Amino acid sequence: MNRTDALIELDQVTKSFGAFQVLKGISLAVKDGEAVCIIGPSGSGKSTILRCINGLIPINSGSIRVGTHEVHKMKTEKEMRPLRHQVSMVFQQYNLFPHRTALQNVMMAPVQVLGHDRREVEARARRLLAKVRLSEKADAYPGQLSGGQQQRVAIARALAMEPQVILFDEVTAALDPETVKEVLTAIRELVDEGLTCILVTHEMKFAREVADRVCFTDHGRIVESGPPAQIFDAPQDPRTREFLGQVL
Amino acid sequence: MFNLDYSWLADPVYQGWLIRGTLTTIELAFASSAIAFVIGLFGALALTLRIAWLDAVIELFVEVFRNTPPLLQMLFFYFTLSTVGLRMTDPATGVSVPLLSAFACALISLSLFGGALCIEAFRSGLDSLPRAVTEAARSLGYSRWQRFRRIEAPIASRICLPALTNIMTNQFKTTSQASVITVPELMYYAGQIYNDTFRTAEVMILVLFIYVSLVSLLSWGMVRIERVLAFPGYGKGA
Ligand SMILES: Nc1ncnc2c1ncn2[C@@H]1O[C@H](COP(=O)(O)OP(=O)(O)O)[C@@H](O)[C@H]1O
Ligand SMILES: [Mg+2]
Repeated sequence: MNRTDALIELDQVTKSFGAFQVLKGISLAVKDGEAVCIIGPSGSGKSTILRCINGLIPINSGSIRVGTHEVHKMKTEKEMRPLRHQVSMVFQQYNLFPHRTALQNVMMAPVQVLGHDRREVEARARRLLAKVRLSEKADAYPGQLSGGQQQRVAIARALAMEPQVILFDEVTAALDPETVKEVLTAIRELVDEGLTCILVTHEMKFAREVADRVCFTDHGRIVESGPPAQIFDAPQDPRTREFLGQVL
Repeated sequence: MFNLDYSWLADPVYQGWLIRGTLTTIELAFASSAIAFVIGLFGALALTLRIAWLDAVIELFVEVFRNTPPLLQMLFFYFTLSTVGLRMTDPATGVSVPLLSAFACALISLSLFGGALCIEAFRSGLDSLPRAVTEAARSLGYSRWQRFRRIEAPIASRICLPALTNIMTNQFKTTSQASVITVPELMYYAGQIYNDTFRTAEVMILVLFIYVSLVSLLSWGMVRIERVLAFPGYGKGA
Protein backbone atom coordinates (compact mmCIF):
# COMPACT_ATOMS: atom_id res chain seq x y z
CA MET A 1 0.00 0.00 0.00
CA ASN A 2 1.13 3.50 -0.82
CA ARG A 3 2.12 5.33 2.37
CA THR A 4 0.31 8.58 1.67
CA ASP A 5 -2.75 6.56 0.91
CA ALA A 6 -3.19 5.43 4.49
CA LEU A 7 -5.44 7.25 6.95
CA ILE A 8 -3.84 5.51 9.90
CA GLU A 9 -0.27 4.41 9.95
CA LEU A 10 1.65 2.66 12.72
CA ASP A 11 5.35 2.10 12.20
CA GLN A 12 7.42 -0.15 14.48
CA VAL A 13 5.44 0.81 17.57
CA THR A 14 6.71 -0.55 20.87
CA LYS A 15 5.14 -0.22 24.27
CA SER A 16 6.24 -1.52 27.65
CA PHE A 17 4.51 -1.55 31.01
CA GLY A 18 7.46 -1.52 33.37
CA ALA A 19 9.82 -4.25 32.24
CA PHE A 20 7.09 -6.04 30.32
CA GLN A 21 7.07 -5.29 26.60
CA VAL A 22 3.49 -5.54 25.41
CA LEU A 23 3.97 -4.28 21.83
CA LYS A 24 7.16 -5.40 20.10
CA GLY A 25 7.12 -3.43 16.87
CA ILE A 26 3.64 -3.09 15.44
CA SER A 27 3.34 -1.80 11.89
CA LEU A 28 -0.07 -1.35 10.40
CA ALA A 29 -1.63 0.87 7.74
CA VAL A 30 -5.35 1.44 7.37
CA LYS A 31 -6.89 3.16 4.37
CA ASP A 32 -9.81 5.53 4.51
CA GLY A 33 -13.00 3.49 4.49
CA GLU A 34 -11.29 0.25 5.32
CA ALA A 35 -12.46 -2.17 8.02
CA VAL A 36 -9.61 -3.99 9.71
CA CYS A 37 -10.19 -6.74 12.26
CA ILE A 38 -7.58 -7.60 14.85
CA ILE A 39 -7.79 -11.11 16.24
CA GLY A 40 -5.47 -12.95 18.58
CA PRO A 41 -5.17 -14.55 21.98
CA SER A 42 -6.02 -12.65 25.13
CA GLY A 43 -3.07 -10.62 26.38
CA SER A 44 -1.46 -10.36 22.96
CA GLY A 45 -1.73 -6.55 22.98
CA LYS A 46 -4.88 -5.90 20.92
CA SER A 47 -6.44 -3.38 23.33
CA THR A 48 -3.09 -1.72 23.78
CA ILE A 49 -2.81 -1.13 20.02
CA LEU A 50 -6.19 0.63 19.99
CA ARG A 51 -5.36 2.71 23.08
CA CYS A 52 -2.11 3.86 21.48
CA ILE A 53 -3.87 4.89 18.28
CA ASN A 54 -6.07 7.46 20.03
CA GLY A 55 -3.35 8.49 22.44
CA LEU A 56 -4.86 7.09 25.62
CA ILE A 57 -1.46 5.65 26.42
CA PRO A 58 1.93 6.95 25.21
CA ILE A 59 4.23 4.69 23.22
CA ASN A 60 7.92 4.03 23.81
CA SER A 61 9.20 4.08 20.25
CA GLY A 62 8.03 4.05 16.66
CA SER A 63 5.45 6.37 15.18
CA ILE A 64 1.69 6.65 14.86
CA ARG A 65 -0.02 8.90 12.38
CA VAL A 66 -3.77 9.43 12.07
CA GLY A 67 -4.61 11.73 9.17
CA THR A 68 -2.35 14.72 9.76
CA HIS A 69 -1.92 14.03 13.49
CA GLU A 70 1.43 12.69 14.63
CA VAL A 71 0.12 10.91 17.71
CA HIS A 72 3.54 9.91 19.08
CA LYS A 73 4.55 13.57 19.26
CA MET A 74 1.54 14.70 21.28
CA LYS A 75 2.21 15.28 24.95
CA THR A 76 -0.82 16.98 26.49
CA GLU A 77 -4.51 16.16 26.52
CA LYS A 78 -5.10 19.51 24.88
CA GLU A 79 -2.97 18.58 21.89
CA MET A 80 -4.89 15.31 21.68
CA ARG A 81 -8.26 16.98 21.41
CA PRO A 82 -8.44 17.32 17.61
CA LEU A 83 -7.28 13.68 17.40
CA ARG A 84 -10.02 12.51 19.76
CA HIS A 85 -12.50 14.36 17.59
CA GLN A 86 -11.33 12.33 14.62
CA VAL A 87 -10.99 8.97 16.39
CA SER A 88 -13.77 7.57 18.58
CA MET A 89 -13.57 4.46 20.69
CA VAL A 90 -16.13 1.92 21.87
CA PHE A 91 -15.14 -0.21 24.84
CA GLN A 92 -15.86 -3.74 25.98
CA GLN A 93 -17.60 -2.56 29.16
CA TYR A 94 -19.63 0.17 27.36
CA ASN A 95 -18.28 2.80 29.81
CA LEU A 96 -21.38 4.98 29.67
CA PHE A 97 -21.71 7.81 32.18
CA PRO A 98 -24.13 6.39 34.77
CA HIS A 99 -25.47 9.78 35.92
CA ARG A 100 -26.75 10.79 32.49
CA THR A 101 -29.53 9.41 30.30
CA ALA A 102 -28.87 7.69 27.01
CA LEU A 103 -29.60 10.89 25.09
CA GLN A 104 -27.41 12.97 27.39
CA ASN A 105 -24.59 10.46 27.09
CA VAL A 106 -24.67 10.90 23.33
CA MET A 107 -24.93 14.71 23.51
CA MET A 108 -22.43 15.50 26.25
CA ALA A 109 -19.09 15.46 24.47
CA PRO A 110 -20.19 17.23 21.25
CA VAL A 111 -21.65 20.06 23.36
CA GLN A 112 -19.13 20.19 26.19
CA VAL A 113 -15.94 19.29 24.34
CA LEU A 114 -16.50 20.32 20.74
CA GLY A 115 -18.71 23.28 21.63
CA HIS A 116 -21.33 22.42 19.02
CA ASP A 117 -24.76 24.00 19.19
CA ARG A 118 -26.96 22.15 21.66
CA ARG A 119 -30.05 22.03 19.48
CA GLU A 120 -28.15 20.80 16.50
CA VAL A 121 -26.47 18.15 18.68
CA GLU A 122 -29.78 17.00 20.11
CA ALA A 123 -31.16 16.45 16.62
CA ARG A 124 -27.99 14.55 15.75
CA ALA A 125 -28.19 12.46 18.93
CA ARG A 126 -31.82 11.51 18.31
CA ARG A 127 -30.98 10.55 14.74
CA LEU A 128 -28.12 8.36 15.96
CA LEU A 129 -30.23 6.71 18.66
CA ALA A 130 -32.78 5.93 15.96
CA LYS A 131 -30.00 4.49 13.85
CA VAL A 132 -29.05 2.04 16.61
CA ARG A 133 -32.78 1.43 17.18
CA LEU A 134 -33.01 2.94 20.64
CA SER A 135 -35.21 5.99 20.08
CA GLU A 136 -37.63 4.89 22.76
CA LYS A 137 -34.80 4.57 25.32
CA ALA A 138 -33.53 8.13 24.95
CA ASP A 139 -34.51 9.05 28.51
CA ALA A 140 -33.40 5.82 30.18
CA TYR A 141 -30.32 5.78 32.41
CA PRO A 142 -27.54 3.29 31.61
CA GLY A 143 -28.50 1.32 34.72
CA GLN A 144 -31.93 0.72 33.20
CA LEU A 145 -30.59 -0.66 29.92
CA SER A 146 -29.43 -4.15 28.99
CA GLY A 147 -25.80 -4.69 28.04
CA GLY A 148 -26.62 -4.75 24.34
CA GLN A 149 -28.62 -1.54 24.62
CA GLN A 150 -25.85 0.18 26.56
CA GLN A 151 -23.35 -0.86 23.95
CA ARG A 152 -25.51 0.57 21.19
CA VAL A 153 -25.78 3.85 23.11
CA ALA A 154 -21.98 3.79 23.35
CA ILE A 155 -21.79 3.37 19.58
CA ALA A 156 -24.16 6.31 19.11
CA ARG A 157 -22.03 8.32 21.53
CA ALA A 158 -18.91 7.54 19.51
CA LEU A 159 -20.68 8.49 16.26
CA ALA A 160 -21.93 11.78 17.70
CA MET A 161 -18.34 13.03 17.66
CA GLU A 162 -18.56 12.68 13.85
CA PRO A 163 -15.29 10.77 13.76
CA GLN A 164 -13.39 9.61 10.73
CA VAL A 165 -12.35 6.43 12.50
CA ILE A 166 -13.95 4.25 15.16
CA LEU A 167 -11.99 1.78 17.26
CA PHE A 168 -14.03 -1.12 18.62
CA ASP A 169 -12.48 -3.08 21.48
CA GLU A 170 -14.21 -6.45 21.89
CA VAL A 171 -17.51 -4.67 22.09
CA THR A 172 -19.56 -7.86 22.17
CA ALA A 173 -17.37 -9.80 24.60
CA ALA A 174 -19.39 -8.82 27.69
CA LEU A 175 -22.79 -9.42 26.07
CA ASP A 176 -25.03 -12.42 26.20
CA PRO A 177 -25.39 -14.29 22.91
CA GLU A 178 -28.86 -12.96 22.03
CA THR A 179 -27.76 -9.34 22.20
CA VAL A 180 -24.48 -9.83 20.36
CA LYS A 181 -26.33 -9.85 17.06
CA GLU A 182 -28.03 -6.48 17.54
CA VAL A 183 -24.69 -4.82 18.25
CA LEU A 184 -22.94 -6.53 15.34
CA THR A 185 -25.76 -5.42 13.04
CA ALA A 186 -25.22 -1.82 14.11
CA ILE A 187 -21.48 -2.09 13.46
CA ARG A 188 -21.97 -3.80 10.11
CA GLU A 189 -24.08 -0.86 8.94
CA LEU A 190 -21.28 1.55 9.79
CA VAL A 191 -18.76 -0.53 7.89
CA ASP A 192 -21.10 -0.70 4.91
CA GLU A 193 -21.44 3.07 4.99
CA GLY A 194 -17.68 3.30 4.58
CA LEU A 195 -16.64 4.48 8.03
CA THR A 196 -13.04 3.52 8.74
CA CYS A 197 -13.07 0.91 11.51
CA ILE A 198 -10.52 -1.05 13.47
CA LEU A 199 -12.23 -3.87 15.30
CA VAL A 200 -10.76 -6.12 17.93
CA THR A 201 -13.09 -9.09 18.03
CA HIS A 202 -13.53 -12.70 18.97
CA GLU A 203 -16.45 -13.07 16.57
CA MET A 204 -14.64 -14.88 13.77
CA LYS A 205 -17.68 -15.23 11.58
CA PHE A 206 -18.32 -11.51 11.84
CA ALA A 207 -14.68 -10.71 11.11
CA ARG A 208 -14.78 -12.86 8.02
CA GLU A 209 -17.90 -11.10 6.77
CA VAL A 210 -17.12 -7.44 7.42
CA ALA A 211 -13.34 -7.14 7.35
CA ASP A 212 -11.38 -5.97 4.35
CA ARG A 213 -8.32 -7.24 6.16
CA VAL A 214 -7.62 -9.36 9.23
CA CYS A 215 -4.54 -9.07 11.44
CA PHE A 216 -3.54 -11.85 13.78
CA THR A 217 -1.56 -10.72 16.83
CA ASP A 218 0.45 -12.86 19.21
CA HIS A 219 2.82 -11.74 21.97
CA GLY A 220 2.89 -8.11 20.87
CA ARG A 221 3.50 -8.74 17.17
CA ILE A 222 1.31 -8.85 14.11
CA VAL A 223 2.15 -12.36 13.02
CA GLU A 224 0.10 -12.45 9.89
CA SER A 225 -2.32 -10.22 8.04
CA GLY A 226 -4.34 -10.41 4.86
CA PRO A 227 -7.84 -10.69 3.42
CA PRO A 228 -10.19 -12.75 5.62
CA ALA A 229 -10.36 -15.60 3.12
CA GLN A 230 -6.59 -15.99 3.30
CA ILE A 231 -6.28 -15.76 7.09
CA PHE A 232 -9.21 -18.03 7.88
CA ASP A 233 -8.90 -20.55 5.06
CA ALA A 234 -5.18 -20.67 4.39
CA PRO A 235 -3.27 -19.32 7.40
CA GLN A 236 0.48 -19.35 6.78
CA ASP A 237 1.89 -19.10 10.29
CA PRO A 238 1.64 -22.07 12.68
CA ARG A 239 0.59 -19.73 15.53
CA THR A 240 -2.36 -18.47 13.47
CA ARG A 241 -3.32 -22.03 12.65
CA GLU A 242 -3.13 -23.03 16.30
CA PHE A 243 -5.23 -20.06 17.42
CA LEU A 244 -7.87 -20.58 14.76
CA GLY A 245 -7.93 -24.28 15.59
CA GLN A 246 -8.91 -23.33 19.13
CA VAL A 247 -11.55 -20.73 18.39
CA LEU A 248 -13.24 -22.00 15.26
CA MET B 1 -35.88 12.16 91.59
CA PHE B 2 -36.76 14.28 88.57
CA ASN B 3 -38.75 17.21 89.63
CA LEU B 4 -38.49 19.24 86.47
CA ASP B 5 -39.33 22.91 86.55
CA TYR B 6 -39.71 24.64 83.21
CA SER B 7 -41.36 27.81 84.45
CA TRP B 8 -38.27 29.84 83.40
CA LEU B 9 -39.08 28.99 79.80
CA ALA B 10 -41.94 31.47 79.94
CA ASP B 11 -39.42 34.30 80.25
CA PRO B 12 -39.13 36.04 76.83
CA VAL B 13 -35.45 36.80 77.51
CA TYR B 14 -34.61 33.09 77.77
CA GLN B 15 -36.81 32.33 74.79
CA GLY B 16 -34.91 34.91 72.77
CA TRP B 17 -31.57 33.44 73.84
CA LEU B 18 -32.61 29.94 72.87
CA ILE B 19 -33.83 31.05 69.45
CA ARG B 20 -30.79 33.18 68.76
CA GLY B 21 -28.49 30.41 69.97
CA THR B 22 -30.20 27.83 67.78
CA LEU B 23 -29.98 30.08 64.73
CA THR B 24 -26.29 30.73 65.33
CA THR B 25 -25.72 27.00 65.66
CA ILE B 26 -27.51 26.36 62.37
CA GLU B 27 -25.63 29.16 60.66
CA LEU B 28 -22.28 27.94 61.91
CA ALA B 29 -22.99 24.32 60.98
CA PHE B 30 -24.24 25.08 57.48
CA ALA B 31 -21.64 27.68 56.62
CA SER B 32 -18.77 25.50 57.83
CA SER B 33 -20.20 22.47 56.02
CA ALA B 34 -20.46 24.41 52.77
CA ILE B 35 -16.85 25.57 53.01
CA ALA B 36 -15.75 22.08 54.08
CA PHE B 37 -17.48 20.66 51.01
CA VAL B 38 -15.52 22.98 48.72
CA ILE B 39 -12.25 22.22 50.52
CA GLY B 40 -13.00 18.51 50.16
CA LEU B 41 -13.71 18.78 46.47
CA PHE B 42 -10.59 20.73 45.62
CA GLY B 43 -8.44 18.70 48.00
CA ALA B 44 -9.53 15.44 46.43
CA LEU B 45 -9.07 16.90 42.93
CA ALA B 46 -5.57 18.05 43.85
CA LEU B 47 -4.75 14.54 45.06
CA THR B 48 -5.65 13.12 41.65
CA LEU B 49 -2.91 15.24 40.07
CA ARG B 50 -0.33 13.06 41.85
CA ILE B 51 2.14 15.83 42.56
CA ALA B 52 4.35 14.53 45.35
CA TRP B 53 4.78 17.71 47.40
CA LEU B 54 1.10 18.64 47.06
CA ASP B 55 0.07 15.16 48.17
CA ALA B 56 2.31 15.53 51.22
CA VAL B 57 0.82 18.91 52.16
CA ILE B 58 -2.76 17.66 51.82
CA GLU B 59 -1.95 14.48 53.68
CA LEU B 60 -0.48 16.46 56.54
CA PHE B 61 -3.50 18.77 56.62
CA VAL B 62 -5.91 15.82 56.73
CA GLU B 63 -3.94 13.99 59.41
CA VAL B 64 -3.59 17.03 61.66
CA PHE B 65 -7.24 18.00 61.52
CA ARG B 66 -8.63 14.50 61.73
CA ASN B 67 -6.45 13.39 64.59
CA THR B 68 -6.56 16.33 66.98
CA PRO B 69 -9.52 17.35 69.17
CA PRO B 70 -11.73 19.92 67.41
CA LEU B 71 -11.90 21.84 70.69
CA LEU B 72 -8.14 22.22 70.64
CA GLN B 73 -8.29 23.38 67.01
CA MET B 74 -10.89 25.96 67.90
CA LEU B 75 -8.91 27.29 70.84
CA PHE B 76 -5.81 27.39 68.67
CA PHE B 77 -7.49 29.48 65.99
CA TYR B 78 -9.15 31.70 68.54
CA PHE B 79 -5.94 32.49 70.34
CA THR B 80 -3.78 32.86 67.25
CA LEU B 81 -6.23 34.70 65.02
CA SER B 82 -8.41 36.59 67.41
CA THR B 83 -6.59 37.29 70.65
CA VAL B 84 -2.91 37.34 69.84
CA GLY B 85 -2.96 37.83 66.13
CA LEU B 86 -4.72 40.20 63.85
CA ARG B 87 -6.04 43.29 65.53
CA MET B 88 -7.32 46.57 64.29
CA THR B 89 -8.11 49.89 65.88
CA ASP B 90 -11.78 50.68 66.07
CA PRO B 91 -12.01 54.15 64.44
CA ALA B 92 -14.93 55.17 66.66
CA THR B 93 -13.54 54.30 70.07
CA GLY B 94 -9.82 54.12 69.39
CA VAL B 95 -9.72 50.75 71.16
CA SER B 96 -7.73 47.90 69.69
CA VAL B 97 -10.12 45.03 68.85
CA PRO B 98 -9.61 41.66 67.17
CA LEU B 99 -10.04 41.73 63.39
CA LEU B 100 -11.77 38.38 63.42
CA SER B 101 -14.74 37.78 65.69
CA ALA B 102 -15.06 34.63 67.77
CA PHE B 103 -17.67 33.47 65.28
CA ALA B 104 -15.25 33.92 62.39
CA CYS B 105 -12.59 31.94 64.24
CA ALA B 106 -15.04 29.14 64.98
CA LEU B 107 -16.15 29.14 61.34
CA ILE B 108 -12.58 28.89 60.07
CA SER B 109 -11.74 26.16 62.55
CA LEU B 110 -14.85 24.07 61.84
CA SER B 111 -14.50 24.51 58.08
CA LEU B 112 -10.95 23.17 58.12
CA PHE B 113 -11.92 20.31 60.43
CA GLY B 114 -14.86 19.36 58.20
CA GLY B 115 -12.74 19.98 55.11
CA ALA B 116 -10.24 17.35 56.21
CA LEU B 117 -13.06 14.84 56.61
CA CYS B 118 -14.55 15.84 53.25
CA ILE B 119 -11.22 15.33 51.46
CA GLU B 120 -11.19 11.78 52.79
CA ALA B 121 -14.79 11.20 51.75
CA PHE B 122 -14.33 12.59 48.24
CA ARG B 123 -11.08 10.75 47.78
CA SER B 124 -12.72 7.41 48.50
CA GLY B 125 -15.62 8.40 46.27
CA LEU B 126 -13.27 9.16 43.39
CA ASP B 127 -11.33 5.97 44.04
CA SER B 128 -14.51 3.96 43.74
CA LEU B 129 -15.25 5.40 40.29
CA PRO B 130 -14.76 2.79 37.62
CA ARG B 131 -11.52 3.55 35.76
CA ALA B 132 -13.46 2.81 32.59
CA VAL B 133 -15.60 5.93 33.05
CA THR B 134 -12.50 8.09 33.19
CA GLU B 135 -11.04 6.40 30.14
CA ALA B 136 -14.26 6.93 28.17
CA ALA B 137 -14.18 10.62 29.09
CA ARG B 138 -10.57 10.92 27.94
CA SER B 139 -11.33 9.19 24.66
CA LEU B 140 -14.09 11.75 24.06
CA GLY B 141 -11.58 14.56 24.43
CA TYR B 142 -12.48 15.83 27.91
CA SER B 143 -9.70 17.79 29.56
CA ARG B 144 -8.61 17.02 33.11
CA TRP B 145 -10.73 19.76 34.62
CA GLN B 146 -13.81 19.13 32.41
CA ARG B 147 -13.62 15.46 33.26
CA PHE B 148 -13.64 16.26 36.95
CA ARG B 149 -16.43 18.83 36.68
CA ARG B 150 -18.75 17.06 34.27
CA ILE B 151 -18.24 13.42 35.09
CA GLU B 152 -16.11 12.48 38.08
CA ALA B 153 -17.38 15.00 40.63
CA PRO B 154 -21.09 14.45 39.88
CA ILE B 155 -20.77 10.69 40.19
CA ALA B 156 -18.40 10.74 43.16
CA SER B 157 -20.48 13.24 45.14
CA ARG B 158 -23.50 10.98 44.83
CA ILE B 159 -21.47 8.04 46.04
CA CYS B 160 -20.27 10.26 48.90
CA LEU B 161 -23.63 11.63 50.03
CA PRO B 162 -24.06 9.26 53.00
CA ALA B 163 -20.56 10.13 54.19
CA LEU B 164 -21.34 13.85 53.76
CA THR B 165 -24.47 13.44 55.89
CA ASN B 166 -22.28 12.00 58.64
CA ILE B 167 -19.84 14.86 58.31
CA MET B 168 -22.62 17.47 58.53
CA THR B 169 -24.09 15.76 61.59
CA ASN B 170 -20.66 15.90 63.11
CA GLN B 171 -20.39 19.61 62.26
CA PHE B 172 -23.66 20.26 64.08
CA LYS B 173 -22.40 18.52 67.19
CA THR B 174 -18.99 20.16 67.05
CA THR B 175 -20.45 23.69 66.88
CA SER B 176 -21.25 23.31 70.59
CA GLN B 177 -17.54 23.61 71.34
CA ALA B 178 -17.57 27.15 69.99
CA SER B 179 -19.24 28.15 73.27
CA VAL B 180 -15.80 27.81 74.86
CA ILE B 181 -14.51 30.67 72.73
CA THR B 182 -17.64 32.75 73.54
CA VAL B 183 -19.50 32.24 70.27
CA PRO B 184 -23.14 32.83 71.26
CA GLU B 185 -24.54 29.59 69.92
CA LEU B 186 -26.99 27.21 71.56
CA MET B 187 -24.60 25.72 74.10
CA TYR B 188 -23.33 29.13 75.11
CA TYR B 189 -26.82 30.44 75.84
CA ALA B 190 -27.70 27.20 77.62
CA GLY B 191 -24.84 27.92 80.01
CA GLN B 192 -26.09 31.46 80.51
CA ILE B 193 -29.57 30.21 81.30
CA TYR B 194 -28.59 27.63 83.90
CA ASN B 195 -26.16 30.04 85.49
CA ASP B 196 -29.15 32.33 85.92
CA THR B 197 -31.78 29.79 86.89
CA PHE B 198 -29.74 26.91 88.34
CA ARG B 199 -32.07 24.59 86.37
CA THR B 200 -29.17 22.62 84.87
CA ALA B 201 -31.03 19.36 84.18
CA GLU B 202 -34.00 21.11 82.59
CA VAL B 203 -31.84 23.25 80.34
CA MET B 204 -29.71 20.29 79.28
CA ILE B 205 -32.73 18.16 78.46
CA LEU B 206 -34.19 20.94 76.34
CA VAL B 207 -30.91 21.57 74.53
CA LEU B 208 -30.49 17.86 73.94
CA PHE B 209 -33.91 17.82 72.38
CA ILE B 210 -33.06 20.77 70.14
CA TYR B 211 -29.87 19.11 68.89
CA VAL B 212 -31.68 15.85 68.20
CA SER B 213 -34.37 17.73 66.27
CA LEU B 214 -31.83 19.65 64.19
CA VAL B 215 -29.85 16.56 63.29
CA SER B 216 -32.98 14.54 62.51
CA LEU B 217 -34.19 17.30 60.23
CA LEU B 218 -30.81 17.33 58.53
CA SER B 219 -30.78 13.55 57.99
CA TRP B 220 -34.29 13.68 56.62
CA GLY B 221 -33.29 16.44 54.20
CA MET B 222 -30.16 14.61 53.09
CA VAL B 223 -32.09 11.40 52.42
CA ARG B 224 -34.48 13.42 50.26
CA ILE B 225 -31.56 14.90 48.36
CA GLU B 226 -30.06 11.44 47.90
CA ARG B 227 -33.33 10.24 46.41
CA VAL B 228 -33.62 13.17 44.05
CA LEU B 229 -30.04 12.90 42.85
CA ALA B 230 -29.97 9.11 42.65
CA PHE B 231 -29.59 7.60 39.21
CA PRO B 232 -30.72 4.09 38.37
CA GLY B 233 -28.09 1.46 38.99
CA TYR B 234 -26.19 3.45 41.63
CA GLY B 235 -26.72 3.89 45.37
CA LYS B 236 -30.29 4.79 46.29
CA GLY B 237 -31.35 4.40 42.66
CA ALA B 238 -30.34 0.74 42.52
N1 LIG C 1 -2.02 -0.44 32.26
C1 LIG C 1 -1.34 -1.61 32.23
N2 LIG C 1 -0.36 -1.83 33.13
C2 LIG C 1 0.34 -2.99 33.11
N3 LIG C 1 0.13 -3.98 32.24
C3 LIG C 1 -0.83 -3.83 31.31
C4 LIG C 1 -1.62 -2.63 31.27
N4 LIG C 1 -2.51 -2.74 30.25
C5 LIG C 1 -2.28 -3.95 29.69
N5 LIG C 1 -1.28 -4.61 30.33
C6 LIG C 1 -0.75 -5.92 29.96
O1 LIG C 1 -0.44 -5.91 28.61
C7 LIG C 1 -0.76 -7.14 28.01
C8 LIG C 1 -1.61 -6.91 26.80
O2 LIG C 1 -2.83 -6.34 27.20
P1 LIG C 1 -4.00 -6.03 26.21
O3 LIG C 1 -3.53 -5.07 25.17
O4 LIG C 1 -5.16 -5.60 27.01
O5 LIG C 1 -4.25 -7.44 25.55
P2 LIG C 1 -5.52 -7.96 24.75
O6 LIG C 1 -6.44 -6.81 24.51
O7 LIG C 1 -4.95 -8.54 23.50
O8 LIG C 1 -6.13 -9.02 25.60
C9 LIG C 1 -1.45 -7.98 29.06
O9 LIG C 1 -0.52 -8.91 29.54
C10 LIG C 1 -1.80 -7.00 30.12
O10 LIG C 1 -1.73 -7.61 31.38
MG1 LIG D 1 -8.36 -6.48 25.28
